[in-house]
Amino acid sequence: MQEKTNQSKIYEIDTIVPIANVSEDDFAVVSLNSKENEKIDTPKYSYWGSVAKKFFFSKITIFMLLLMLVIFLMAFIQPLFSGYNLESVGNINDFKARYNWPSAKYWFGTDANGNSLFDAIWAGARTSISIGVIASLITEIIGVIVGAVWGISKKIDRLMLEIYNVIANVPSLLIIIVLSYSFGNGFWNLIFAMTCTSWIGTAYFMRVQVMIMREREYNVASRTLGTPTKRIIFRNILPYLTSVIVTDVSMSLPSFISYEVFLSFLGVGLSQNVPSLGRLISQYSPYMTSYPYLFWLPVLVLALITISLYIIGQRLADASDPRTHL
Amino acid sequence: MNNANRETLLSIKDLEITFGSGKSKFVAVQDVNFDIFKGEIFSLVGESGSGKTTIGRAVLGINPTSKGEIIFEGKQINGKISSKEKFQIERKIQMIFQDPSASLNERATVDYIISEGLYNYKLFKTEDERLNKVREMLEAVGLLPEQLYRYPHEFSGGQRQRIGIARALIMNPDLVVADEPISALDMSIRAQVLNLLKKFQREQGVTFLFVAHDLSVVRYISDRIAVIRAGKILELAETEELFKNPIHPYTKSLLSAIPIPDPQIARSRKNIIYNPNMHDYSIEKPEFREIRTGHFVYCSDSEAIEYKKNIKD
Repeated sequence: MQEKTNQSKIYEIDTIVPIANVSEDDFAVVSLNSKENEKIDTPKYSYWGSVAKKFFFSKITIFMLLLMLVIFLMAFIQPLFSGYNLESVGNINDFKARYNWPSAKYWFGTDANGNSLFDAIWAGARTSISIGVIASLITEIIGVIVGAVWGISKKIDRLMLEIYNVIANVPSLLIIIVLSYSFGNGFWNLIFAMTCTSWIGTAYFMRVQVMIMREREYNVASRTLGTPTKRIIFRNILPYLTSVIVTDVSMSLPSFISYEVFLSFLGVGLSQNVPSLGRLISQYSPYMTSYPYLFWLPVLVLALITISLYIIGQRLADASDPRTHL
Repeated sequence: MNNANRETLLSIKDLEITFGSGKSKFVAVQDVNFDIFKGEIFSLVGESGSGKTTIGRAVLGINPTSKGEIIFEGKQINGKISSKEKFQIERKIQMIFQDPSASLNERATVDYIISEGLYNYKLFKTEDERLNKVREMLEAVGLLPEQLYRYPHEFSGGQRQRIGIARALIMNPDLVVADEPISALDMSIRAQVLNLLKKFQREQGVTFLFVAHDLSVVRYISDRIAVIRAGKILELAETEELFKNPIHPYTKSLLSAIPIPDPQIARSRKNIIYNPNMHDYSIEKPEFREIRTGHFVYCSDSEAIEYKKNIKD
């Protein structure tokens, strides 16, 4: 039954367009255009363009980026005008200027010396952010270069592994504390103490990544084309590791800032006249109950700095991974 | 063709390649002898794990050899050679890789990938000259010059493999090792790539060492074929000679397994199963012997006599 109806349909088609009416003019010769087949219609891909597109896609990222920009601008511009000095005790006898709660006049309030907390926080943030940025830049640059060479060369690998085993078994905080004690207080001394051994962790991490990439076939192909090792590192391996490196930076930036805060809290690290968020937090911690704003506002700013840096770093790391570009 | 009059480009003598050492030592390739003549397409056919790719890679110097010689243009190129010499040889021997998506640098433009070798050997005087060379090469492999600044992942598999071919051939190599260049490709574009390789052989006189496992492909493209099994070359002959008069039982079994697109013939055909234990090499040691002119078989003395008897013309 089914077949019969199907067949009758086929005959119907024949009746709609009778074969007698189909002439040769109804047909045209279609040629195969091989050039046309090779064309790619998708818009041109650019790596950094796709990274930017992916990065700015999320509203949270844009908000965090703005927040970070505001904090950075405040930290680097406001202290130029406020002329804040940590050791200034000019207002100490002016009882009206002491222990003011946050108000229109004193946005973040004042402390026992009559100094504005608003000025103190931005001056402190400037030091803390500078330490974090400089220390992680030094760590990453040394770490990535050493790690790349470490991962490529089997001879260096043997030597470096021994050095790594020795250094990595000592807690890094202990090394930093001992070094900053022995070199004395100071901004650059603290940075030296922080970066002295931290790069080896990054280098080890990079070594593993480079070793994974090293034996990939496109590197073998480059070698058969006579490409020198240096170019293989810079053109073949490191571009693949951009997102890995960005992730590492995004983790190390906040961690260096918290190292500084912790060390200043303990009283080692920076000189006595340098304001920093860590020093503010340790200085005001006795007021946690009596004048809580003195303690909590620096903590809040610190939290905002580290969280925004961390989230931006993570988003940038995600965006720089080309697997997310599709 | 008379092989005696042809110029030998690459000659492999008693090659042995081992991986690992001590207890975990594994002999991947043993007693391999063959010559490749200038301008021909020489194919190595074998099952997976037979060592065909290993030989190809040893020619390029990627895999170290443990015994024997690889002689290229009259000079030994395996073992210890100066890095300067190695650098010069690297330009003359190029490779086309099996997997086009793994062998191209995904973070570089086609322009950089193709001119990578040109940069290394400074094969251009001006930037314009380099760009012209790359454009010409792109057109020669059937791609469009406007695709110069695109990235490999934007191309189809066949196009990517053609980028790989362009990158190897822009160096003007004398010998190209093509390591299963079509096995990762779709059926419909295999012919495209094969014809391209043939075109370069014809027009530029490039010699190919073609590694493959597909006999019908090999028959189409190659001038001479070597059949390899478990690291040993069992039979070597000119293409049509090998397909007409297979001598070694392993070759016979391979040829009997080629699919025939005709069910009636396919059904009546007898498949030959090769048993490696059928050879008794305990008394007579096997050797690579010439049974007919240009037709070599790995066999013992008594087998050689038997093979010679059974040859049909």
